Amino acid sequence: MASKGPEVPLLSVEGLSFSYLDSPRAALTDVNLKINRGEIVILAGQSGCGKSTLLRCVNGLIPHMYPGDYKGRIVVDGDVVAETPMGKLAQMVGFLFQNPENQIFMFSVERDIAFGLENQGLPRQEMRRRVDEVMGLLHIEPLALRPPHELSDGQKQRVALAGIIAMRPNLVILDEPTSLLDPKTASELVSLVSKLNKELGITFVIVEHRLELLTPIADRIVVMDKGRVVMEGTPTEVLTNPASSTHGLAIPPVFSLYSELAERGSRLPRAPLTPEEMAQELNAP
Amino acid sequence: MYWLASGLLYRRVVSPFTKLDPRIKLLIAIEFFVLSLLASSVIGVAIIIASIVAVAAFARSLRRVGRTVAFSLIFATFIFVLNLWIGLGLLRSLTFALRFIAIIGSTSIFFITTSPDELEQIMKWMRIPRDVVFAFVTAVRFIPVVMLDAFQIMDAQKSRGLELEKGGLLSRVRNLIPVLIPLVVNSVIRSGELAEAMESRGYGSTPKPTSLYGMRLRWYDKAVLVLSLAVFVLALYIYHFYTFPF
Ligand SMILES: Nc1ncnc2c1ncn2[C@@H]1O[C@H](COP(=O)(O)OP(=O)(O)OP(=O)(O)O)[C@@H](O)[C@H]1O
Ligand SMILES: [Mg+2]
Repeated sequence: MASKGPEVPLLSVEGLSFSYLDSPRAALTDVNLKINRGEIVILAGQSGCGKSTLLRCVNGLIPHMYPGDYKGRIVVDGDVVAETPMGKLAQMVGFLFQNPENQIFMFSVERDIAFGLENQGLPRQEMRRRVDEVMGLLHIEPLALRPPHELSDGQKQRVALAGIIAMRPNLVILDEPTSLLDPKTASELVSLVSKLNKELGITFVIVEHRLELLTPIADRIVVMDKGRVVMEGTPTEVLTNPASSTHGLAIPPVFSLYSELAERGSRLPRAPLTPEEMAQELNAP
Repeated sequence: MYWLASGLLYRRVVSPFTKLDPRIKLLIAIEFFVLSLLASSVIGVAIIIASIVAVAAFARSLRRVGRTVAFSLIFATFIFVLNLWIGLGLLRSLTFALRFIAIIGSTSIFFITTSPDELEQIMKWMRIPRDVVFAFVTAVRFIPVVMLDAFQIMDAQKSRGLELEKGGLLSRVRNLIPVLIPLVVNSVIRSGELAEAMESRGYGSTPKPTSLYGMRLRWYDKAVLVLSLAVFVLALYIYHFYTFPF
């Protein structure tokens, strides 16, 4: 493996275009993107703009599982995705999907968390150690022996995430992980992401429509439209830019209010990320 | 209707029997099965059924085993009447009917007390290829999920005015189409998502996958093994040398 200086991004998408087999339209067109270690990045954009397709390219489902017309390349942690076997990619990039039900295969939580490790062929003691460690980290020890049908959706999603973290990936990608969860459970998942980012240094790329859930913890937003990356920047940069609404983003009220105030000439000293922060700024003398 | 799907879900029960090595549970079930096939008297089969009930009680699964046995009673009655009708006589017809119950009881005791995880281990132990084992595991895992899905679709379509229980046989079958189509579509989507999730967790990436759980015979298992074999041989001996009055 090549030496990695701090300036080498963890993920680098270079001139990537892709169309699914037998599909007339390109799902991705000339996508360029760099993601650094330790970042939390939101991937946003209207339905059908290619977010899931891009994530599939990042963990290798494209081109290993989905055939199609593939141009350009993706490098994760020094490895070119298209030339790296799925088994190795699985250890580098974790993928949490939308539907928690369809990611749990086994009949007990601890066994399911071990699923990826079993596939890797790790010895039993090592699996035991990692499974216990991850269950502790995600506070799911009491669920260890529960079968999946006795778990709530939020618990299932947590278990699926645990199964991914147990493989110790540097990068975790999440495709609308909260869309089937209630608001409270969704924000618990977001806190968990923030915790894993801080404590383990895991880099996250998250597709999410409810932007206000993630803007407080995100370093960057990448906006896609019709298979292209059209905007990129910090949440404040992107969401206070009038162009963002033309790409179909639901601007969280904090940001639209901030832009509105700025337009009327009362610029706040610091752009707030949450309603609480905004209240503080407004109350400041 | 929901109970039907939930009846297929495995319930973890902790008991002296369920915590046996699954191979021992399988052996005990096979022993019961063989004895049920051999027994040729009402008393003999009755003793076997009583033993199965005892084991079920020991496994704290009396109710679930009882439910399957109660279900098999319908067929047992049918067998009884049929045999009586073809002139086999009261005692032999009764033996056949009871034997059927014993066979169902012996199989259900195994499937009720053995978790899908343990079934998987037994299959691996039998050197069944991993893909076959995994297909089986996935089927067991998702059959109740798909059934619940079906009931939800039925409820949804009923609330939109679909009348499932109306009309003759043909129109009843036709009425199922609005249920079946979404069910098939859902299942296809589900299997696609499952495949993605499997690949993403490295399924099939090494020819030698390991397992978090393993089977190991402890002294307790060995004791039960010896005991069950002893009882089995004794039963065979009785079967061979002793004739029950009826
Ligand atoms: N398996 C597939 N085969 C063929 N075409 C596909 C496939 N999956 C997606 N597409 C097409 O690729 C394009 C991008 O889809 P993609 O699923 O990546 O969008 P998305 O941004 O994730 O949308 P959403 O927010 O609805 O999930 C769409 O035009 C879609 O129809
Ligand atoms: Mg998508």
